[in-house]
Amino acid sequence: MENRPLEYDYTVTKMFMLTTIILGIVGMLIGVVLAFQMAYPELNLVLGEGLAEYTNFSRLRPLHTDAVIFGFTLSGIFSTWYYVGQRVLKVSMAESGFLMFIGKLHFWLYLVGVAAVVVSLFLGITTSKEYAEFEWPIDIAIVVVWVLFGISIFGLIGIRREKSLYISIWYYIATFLGIAMLYLFNNMEIPTILGESAAGESGIGAWYHSVSMYAGTNDAMVQWWYGHNAVAFGFTVPIVAMIYYFLPKESGQAIYSYKLSLLSFWGLMFVYLWAGGHHLLYSTVPDWVQTMGSIFSVILILPSWGSAINMLLTMKGEWQQVAASPLIKFMILASTFYMFSTLEGPIQAIKSVNAIAHFTDWIVGHVHDGTLGWVGFMIMAALFHMAPRVFKREIYSKSLMATQFWIQTLGIVLYFTSMWIAGITQGMMWRAHDEFGNLAYSFIDTVTILHPYYTIRGVGGLLYLVGFLMFSYNIYKTMSARPVEESELQSASPMGA
Amino acid sequence: MFHWLEKHPFFFAVGVFLTVAFAGLVTILPNFAQSSRPVIGTAPYSTLELAGRHVYIKNSCNACHSQLVRPFKSETDRYGHYSLSGEYAYDRPFLWGSKRTGPDLMRVGNYRTTDWHENHMKDPSGVVPGSIMPAYRWMFTNAADIDTAFAEQLTVAQFFSVPYNKPVPMRDGSTMVVKMGSSLADANVLALAEAKVIVEDMKDQDVKDAVANGKIPEIVALIAYLNSLK
Amino acid sequence: MNKIYLWGIVITVAMLGFTYMSVGMSEGGLNGDIVNMLTVAAAISLVVITVFVVIKYVRQMQTDTADGQLADEQWDGVGEYLNEVPKGWAIMFLLTMVWGMWYFIAGYPVNSYSQIGEYNEDVAVHNAKFEAQYASITGDRLVEMGESVFIAECKICHGLKADGIDGKAANLNQRIEAKTVKFAIENGSNNHLLGSEMPMPDRNGLFNTNTGSLITDAEIDVVSAYVANGMTGTGADVFVGTCAACHGEDGKGMEYVAPSVATFSPALVTNILNHGKKGAIGKMPAFDRLNAKQKEAVGAYITSLSN
Ligand code: HEC
Ligand code: HEC
Ligand code: HEC
Ligand code: HEM
Ligand code: HEM
Ligand SMILES: [Ca+2]
Ligand SMILES: [Ca+2]
Ligand SMILES: [Cu+2]
Repeated sequence: MENRPLEYDYTVTKMFMLTTIILGIVGMLIGVVLAFQMAYPELNLVLGEGLAEYTNFSRLRPLHTDAVIFGFTLSGIFSTWYYVGQRVLKVSMAESGFLMFIGKLHFWLYLVGVAAVVVSLFLGITTSKEYAEFEWPIDIAIVVVWVLFGISIFGLIGIRREKSLYISIWYYIATFLGIAMLYLFNNMEIPTILGESAAGESGIGAWYHSVSMYAGTNDAMVQWWYGHNAVAFGFTVPIVAMIYYFLPKESGQAIYSYKLSLLSFWGLMFVYLWAGGHHLLYSTVPDWVQTMGSIFSVILILPSWGSAINMLLTMKGEWQQVAASPLIKFMILASTFYMFSTLEGPIQAIKSVNAIAHFTDWIVGHVHDGTLGWVGFMIMAALFHMAPRVFKREIYSKSLMATQFWIQTLGIVLYFTSMWIAGITQGMMWRAHDEFGNLAYSFIDTVTILHPYYTIRGVGGLLYLVGFLMFSYNIYKTMSARPVEESELQSASPMGA
Repeated sequence: MFHWLEKHPFFFAVGVFLTVAFAGLVTILPNFAQSSRPVIGTAPYSTLELAGRHVYIKNSCNACHSQLVRPFKSETDRYGHYSLSGEYAYDRPFLWGSKRTGPDLMRVGNYRTTDWHENHMKDPSGVVPGSIMPAYRWMFTNAADIDTAFAEQLTVAQFFSVPYNKPVPMRDGSTMVVKMGSSLADANVLALAEAKVIVEDMKDQDVKDAVANGKIPEIVALIAYLNSLK
Repeated sequence: MNKIYLWGIVITVAMLGFTYMSVGMSEGGLNGDIVNMLTVAAAISLVVITVFVVIKYVRQMQTDTADGQLADEQWDGVGEYLNEVPKGWAIMFLLTMVWGMWYFIAGYPVNSYSQIGEYNEDVAVHNAKFEAQYASITGDRLVEMGESVFIAECKICHGLKADGIDGKAANLNQRIEAKTVKFAIENGSNNHLLGSEMPMPDRNGLFNTNTGSLITDAEIDVVSAYVANGMTGTGADVFVGTCAACHGEDGKGMEYVAPSVATFSPALVTNILNHGKKGAIGKMPAFDRLNAKQKEAVGAYITSLSN
């Protein structure tokens, strides 16, 4: 009895793996549609004039962002939590009926939330705040889901056998706390059914409609304090949690430096929250807030790079693995893209650079360096690593995985180079004055010139989507591939040809 | 100390929370009251304008359009005076946007007109060759939600003391009163009166007929809102 | 040379090439605008820094072997080395923090910067340059300048060719269209075309002195066509009998009485830009954000179109 390895229970992990894949496909498919709509606006009518209200760019855009953030990324976070959590805390979900129940409830309520979001966004029910579009009834559902996630985290920690917390757990805890705080404050809103007319009528109008507690500049400050840190606690912190577990695990290497982990973590926690002002440069928020945002963004490079460097150096002496294993390739490229976007961000946060970059496609390029290269690659790598272990099967095809890697890498390169050029071009054209001191271009000139770049971006996005479909297929086939022995699974994942 | 925290999850979590929470307070609170004081000349939205604002939000126009003129010569040349904080005092939510796929709309009411919007919303590339903006034809038939706009007026008047039915100072020294209905029926009457002014400058016969019959299509509310952006 | 450096250089050169292309393509590119320069410099350093830092660590990975002292603990088999933090990283972190404090406290203290102040200085410089060079230009240069204003501001409604895009705005290649004339006669006109309030009466105030009665439907059509055709064809008699009192026999208008309906002039256009215009087609907005010289110039350009 004593020596038998713990039987981890991956039921909830598997459930969230499924939504990671499905919502990933949906979100990215919509992304590709959006990208081509910008190049070929006739595509706003893809399903005909009658459905144009639901298929036009502006209705679909929030669906894309929310599907990939709250669908794909969040599912990936949850699914890895239910995997990594058990293993580094050395407890099984099977040991606690309560936590098992919470885990399943977490999943099903999450699914209800997702369905509500999809329906409401298609109907145009939105508060317009980016990444916080949901009206108050959905906010409440989200809070409940989040609380369940919290119970699951602290519950598992409560019954742990491993006394001290592994680095990944630090980051999962931070994810939980950070999002909880940010989401609550940014969604302070008053339902308008509370309004009462002079004639004594109340409960007027749409029951789900609400109005923000903050007005104008204050609303903007709260929103971007949230928005920036949604990036921090949605796209950075939990993904770092993943790489700190999956890279050493897959490669069989030990973490390069505990001290570096420590400094990067606390540095990141402290610095990130100050940088939100970089979304509001040259706006009407006070000058000092903007300056603060700018300065802290530059400082932020270091704690960000700390983790990335730690990961690269963890591969010390094991260079051949990067060449041999597509799974390691994904993770190394992810951390490289993490470095790229956390250098790009601070550069765009410098006021005079932001004067050009803000409002342009360069920002969109930056977003997708991070999300496609870092978030997407890391989540797929995590699923690739987990699949053999949760399904007890070898990965269906290594060569498919390698092909996918190169297709997607090419896709990302096309995406960010085209948006980089488009953004700088547009930013400069907006500023340009001609020899008479008049504006050199009317706005539409700065739109039509971007057509080729929008097309290239669409192609890049399509390649990424194709890669993601290959990934989905590979995982799907893995479920029926050759079974493997549990004991083989110490480090490198077993892969079929 | 850190190693100790790593063995005591509760204190670890408290530590993380404090580290994280502190920055928000320091950056947001100091100017909170000052940032939301209206500048002279800024009036709350009328019922129809607010309904139009909801149409704008419903269709995520803010995904492509900003409403924030930054203090650069090139922007004030293109869009007019740079934005002032107090001009947004009645904007809940704010609609600054973060991407300019289309032009800024902060002051579009100054240099575009009802008939132009009508043509443009129906077929953007028919008016501006090469435009990649989607056409919004369903707005010509969908009815605007006046009730919800009225509910919002009531709510903001009640909870945030937004000055409806009260004199608001204008730039030329005069004052202006933005009316809010005393009942739902009254609010609909007010909105319809506003709508009639807008459709006078419109061409679409179906829209004109609808308003004549007491219905307000979304496009009319939206144009009222766009015209109010000055 | 090491293959990996070669790749680094290839990637760097490619990105720089792309950036150069993009900048070269836009007229406003590297024209000494400090903001443009900084942006390009930033874009370049972004690539260079990432590529070379990654190369540094990859090289280190290739040559180094994993060693150092392992910590006692392990989590699911994952261990940790007790290695020191990389020196370069630690130093940079410290330096940026010191720099941040310096910036905020000593370099550019909070109360000594105002973005509006910066804007005002910028505008003053721009306007001074503009005044010195262009305040007094005339003739063809003025028309050219007007064309530049037209393309940035007016073509959205009037079209690149100023043809009004299928009747969505006025066709500016001719002074006036028949339906606009007809609309003015039937409804009168009150658009401050002379720069001040001076309305034209509607058809109930327009006597044809030839017939001694109010202008008739048939006469309206005839005279509208006559004016729209550049004061040629039939209808001259109606015009002389009804309109010439105010607009002059040649239709060129009279100061303080009525505007020219035969030709555009910079003054007429300026008045329209100052007050906007509401007519048969729709509404033309006023353009407060153009300065007097720009209005004069675009007026000259429009005048040149129909000559
Ligand atoms: C796919 C992006 C996109 C969406 C979504 C979009 N627009 Fe636009 N919009 C543009 C572009 C590009 C232009 C510039 C070309 C033109 O004038 O059509 C523009 C121009 C405009 C203009 C003219 C402004 C000016 O200064 O010339 C207005 C007004 C406008 N849009 C309103 C709206 C409204 C209202 C909505 C939502 C119901 C909306 N737009 C949605 C892209 C978009
Ligand atoms: C009592 C004097 C008077 C008479 C008679 C008169 N007009 Fe006018 N007309 C004016 C004035 C003044 C304006 C400018 C009004 C304004 O500012 O909108 C004007 C404007 C116009 C315009 C508008 C120009 C534009 O750019 O839109 C047209 C067309 C016009 N007149 C044609 C005629 C014709 C044709 C007749 C004869 C049938 C006529 N007018 C008779 C005084 C007169
Ligand atoms: C929002 C659309 C719009 C914009 C922008 C616009 N115009 Fe117009 N303009 C119109 C419309 C509509 C008319 C026709 C009014 C009428 O019915 O007579 C018009 C009429 C005119 C006329 C009068 C023609 C006549 O027959 O009397 C002139 C001159 C003119 N515009 C010049 C300009 C110039 C110069 C600019 C740019 C600085 C400009 N417009 C920008 C819509 C616009
Ligand atoms: C050091 C770290 C980073 C800094 C300082 C930073 C800075 C910035 C800046 C300056 C903007 C543009 C704001 C604007 O002008 O509109 C931005 C936008 C954005 N960044 Fe980053 N960034 C960083 C890392 C990342 C990472 C790693 C990701 C994602 C994986 C990311 C995702 C985004 C997103 C989604 C936006 C768009 C927000 C919007 O909707 O406008 N960022 N960032
Ligand atoms: C197949 C891949 C994808 C394509 C083709 C794609 C395409 C797009 C397009 C066209 C936009 C709108 C840009 C604009 O308005 O100008 C967008 C926005 C965005 N996408 Fe994607 N996307 C993809 C994948 C992803 C993924 C995987 C994520 C996150 C994990 C993501 C996150 C975002 C975000 C946060 C924005 C908003 C950016 C902003 O507001 O600045 N995308 N995407
Ligand atoms: Ca909400
Ligand atoms: Ca955005
Ligand atoms: Cu940010």
